[in-house]
Amino acid sequence: MSVATDTKPGDTSSDEVDSKWLNAHYDPVASLYTFTTCMALSDLNGDGENKLIIADLGTGSYDMKLKVYKGTSLMSENAIIDLPTGVSTFFMDTNEPRTPAIAVASGPYIYVYKNLRPYFKFTLPPLEVNEVEEQLWNQTREDKIDVRVLREMLDSLRRENTDSSLTVRSLRFLMLDPDQMEAFADLHKHSPMKKQTVITCMDTLKKSMSDDDAISCLVIGTESKDIYILDPEAFTVLAKMTLPSVPVFLSVSGLYDVEFRIVVSGRNGHIYTLKRGSKTAKSCVELGSQPVGLQRVGKNIVVGCMDQTLQCFTTKGKRLWTVYLPSGITSMGLMDHKQRGFKAVLVGLNSCEVHVYRDKYLVNVIKSQDAVTGMQFGRFGREDGALVMTTKGGGLIVKILRRNAVFEERDSSGGPPVAQNQKLNVPKKTKLFVDQTMRERENGTTMHRTFQHDLYRMRLNTARAFVTALDNSLNPISMNPTEPLKLSAQIQGIGPTFKLTVSLQNTSMNTPSLSLIISFQYDDKLYALQKNLIHVPMLIPGLNYNFETLVECLNDKGISDTIKVFVLRQHRAVPIITAVINMPVSESVIVV
Amino acid sequence: MRQSSLCIFYNITMNYRFFPLQSKEEKKADEALLSLPTKIPEPTLKPKTKKAPELPIFERRNWLIHLHYVRKEFNTCKSLIKEQLEETQGMCEYAVYVQGLIKRMEGRIQESLELFQTCSLLNSQSTDNLKQVARSLFLLGRHKAAIDVYNEAAKLSQRDWEVSHNMGICYMYLKMYDKAKESLKHAIQCNRHDLSFIMLGKIFLMEGDLEMAIDVYKRAVEFNPENPELLSTLGLLYLQIGQTQKAFEHLGNALTYDPSNVKAILAAGCMMQQHGDFEVALTKYRIAAAAVPESPPLWNNIGMCFFGKKKYVAAISCLKRANYLAPFDWKILYNLGLVHLTMQQYASAFHFLSAAINLKPKMGQLFMLLAVALTHLEDPDNARQAYEQAVSLEQSDPSVHLNFAIYLYNIGDRKAASHHFSQFEQKLQAQRKDNVNVEIDTE
Repeated sequence: MSVATDTKPGDTSSDEVDSKWLNAHYDPVASLYTFTTCMALSDLNGDGENKLIIADLGTGSYDMKLKVYKGTSLMSENAIIDLPTGVSTFFMDTNEPRTPAIAVASGPYIYVYKNLRPYFKFTLPPLEVNEVEEQLWNQTREDKIDVRVLREMLDSLRRENTDSSLTVRSLRFLMLDPDQMEAFADLHKHSPMKKQTVITCMDTLKKSMSDDDAISCLVIGTESKDIYILDPEAFTVLAKMTLPSVPVFLSVSGLYDVEFRIVVSGRNGHIYTLKRGSKTAKSCVELGSQPVGLQRVGKNIVVGCMDQTLQCFTTKGKRLWTVYLPSGITSMGLMDHKQRGFKAVLVGLNSCEVHVYRDKYLVNVIKSQDAVTGMQFGRFGREDGALVMTTKGGGLIVKILRRNAVFEERDSSGGPPVAQNQKLNVPKKTKLFVDQTMRERENGTTMHRTFQHDLYRMRLNTARAFVTALDNSLNPISMNPTEPLKLSAQIQGIGPTFKLTVSLQNTSMNTPSLSLIISFQYDDKLYALQKNLIHVPMLIPGLNYNFETLVECLNDKGISDTIKVFVLRQHRAVPIITAVINMPVSESVIVV
Repeated sequence: MRQSSLCIFYNITMNYRFFPLQSKEEKKADEALLSLPTKIPEPTLKPKTKKAPELPIFERRNWLIHLHYVRKEFNTCKSLIKEQLEETQGMCEYAVYVQGLIKRMEGRIQESLELFQTCSLLNSQSTDNLKQVARSLFLLGRHKAAIDVYNEAAKLSQRDWEVSHNMGICYMYLKMYDKAKESLKHAIQCNRHDLSFIMLGKIFLMEGDLEMAIDVYKRAVEFNPENPELLSTLGLLYLQIGQTQKAFEHLGNALTYDPSNVKAILAAGCMMQQHGDFEVALTKYRIAAAAVPESPPLWNNIGMCFFGKKKYVAAISCLKRANYLAPFDWKILYNLGLVHLTMQQYASAFHFLSAAINLKPKMGQLFMLLAVALTHLEDPDNARQAYEQAVSLEQSDPSVHLNFAIYLYNIGDRKAASHHFSQFEQKLQAQRKDNVNVEIDTE
């Protein structure tokens, strides 16, 4: 093991970081609620200037909008009816000028916009409805069966039917109160039965040519664990594939007509691969933690996981490397700078940083003002190397890669950690310590003997005191097994009158204590007690009994003394237990 | 703005060839629906239109819940789940599922168990639900119940790594090691996860089978050569069986992949110290000191590094810090005693050594050091007693006899002295035979 002599301990100092990126725009109050999948950069008007398209989730329940930014200003805003799941831009025809269409996935629909105008709405093919269920509703429509019968039948159907669930209509119907059922059935029974699903992710796949402006198909993942590939011109389903789990992230490569590969991460933490012609997915990787982002770099799959790791796999599923990240991942993006042939993975972290990984090497760290939730790298405006980021607080950040920025091949986090160059925090010793050491060296034997001598004396004194306490019953817990009692006393007040509370407990299992007396010993020049003697009633085991008396301090000179509390058995002089109370100094009486 | 744009949507699509035909009435209804500000269309239409409102499906926000969950934005996630469950009256399976996961992460395991049980009531065919029920049971310490549920899950999906692995761990806690090994091996066959290897290795260690444990870890390292945890554990195991070369190799590898792996740093540093490489060990300890500033073994080792460098004051400072952090660790007290003996502070040394003996009464070397301290404190009777105790407890270390011999010689008991000296020589010979490098200063 060689000692690392490298003096540069991965100090990506702030000015070095910033030297790679120019801050183009920062709007902390853009109020954007969006993800990487809901952002796209594209030349919508064919004027050579790329726009930023963001599907904004609004408040998460209303105010959803499709926003288009030209430069740093908002160019247009279209309302979206339901939560947008993903946004893609794609060419759906060969018309000139070449302007791409925008596809917004939302619920079971894909809304297609051309020239920022609504153009077409595609609805996912409905799922198969359970036959029995359909018959039941048909019979209801023909008034052959009562709503109560319908309810019972549906309920049993739901219980026994295990592989596919019922339609929303039936499920809603089952939730209703009996008096609402009739109206609900009347309202719904005439419309045809349909069972819909929801789009969970969307991507594009070039159809037959790999040009930048070639026609692309849409690839859609649904809640029903299916993947659909849609024809861009006719909007028919070209291919349908089934997954074992609900797809979350998609990564598509290749050409539909030649050969393509879709890498999908499922909600169960597995990654699946799909090829042209396959109907079902092949499980490729079983991750130990849920993926937060998935990107393809060349032939490899890079996955960011919930357990703060970035892992890389081949498409066959072999693990190539794992990087442990300093903080949780919030988003992932791909940085593909075609002009320079530079491909890297962007990882947004909770610690308000974006790490740029080329292979497993961290080549750059971008500090942001807030945790990044969505990002897109690409051409924005007329600038090729732009990085658009949205933050957790709803901000929008645009950074531009400097033209002279060079990413080093070498891992900038390499070398020994920073801590190695920090001095050890060894506790300092004073001169006194050294003096004491010298003294001990000179007089060690004497010190040792004195110590041993005193130790023995202390032990002796302790033993003596203990014996005396036992003899005089001065201890608050009775040592006599026939009188198992526990005593504690407390004093309240600031004087001159105090309240003295004696609490007494019988600690035996089942023998009650009888005929006990509490008495006090005190200096009668200093204190006067309201009750000198307290007769104790029978003590039931386990319960705590409190006895109170008032103590008046007769002296105003600020003197205090102790009061002893004895618990005695009648007709016996030696107390069973004793408590000693150190009285506080009394406040003097203020005469007004 | 919004209303007009949505209306245009339909006007344009009318001309499109794939637009489904709609009656005028229906179209009107649709438009009315779409222009409603809320996303859940209310049944506002009169029954005579006979157009039922569209019912939002239960799973419509699952993807959003999932996205927030994986980002660990649990507060957002919880409010989403609450909305979704209100909307569906608790029938949305995935929302309940994620709620269970979050509750479990917050440490409310019993609640999570109840939620997962609700999930498996909603969908009894899902292995995921059963696995989570079992996992919560496992975390509650109800291992037997967990195994039962895992068996159920195994019926639904064969060759599932998670099921086999977790079943193995349950068996391990029930101390049924054979079954545990079987399950874990099965899990490894399904998917070679590091975790299964680590647990299997642990079981072998619990049974005291070092060889097999090393074998398991070796296979794990083959599959995943860059996991610092595996590498450092394997290194420590090699250290235990005395293969220092291999141990150092693996610890070094672990440090290459994770230069701040405390476990590897401590082990490697300890080996460096044994070779007298105190400077290098200290530089490595600096990293560990930043990561775990309150680790008693670390400060103990740092202290002994300074001791080796003859910086006694620093050594005492570090050892005292270690002792402060772990007052009942006899090794630290032993070292403190040793350093104080070297500093000729015999009275202090006596205290530390007697404290160490109180914690570890069966250690001959401690008594020997105590005897040395007592000799210097001019207490020959107790010193002799301590030496005798040391000789009776310590069988292998020849230095006990040597020290005793010197002591006896000094007090004039030549006969006993020569007896112990010959014993010392015998033991030394025996050790040399065992090929242990022994260096002694001849007086």
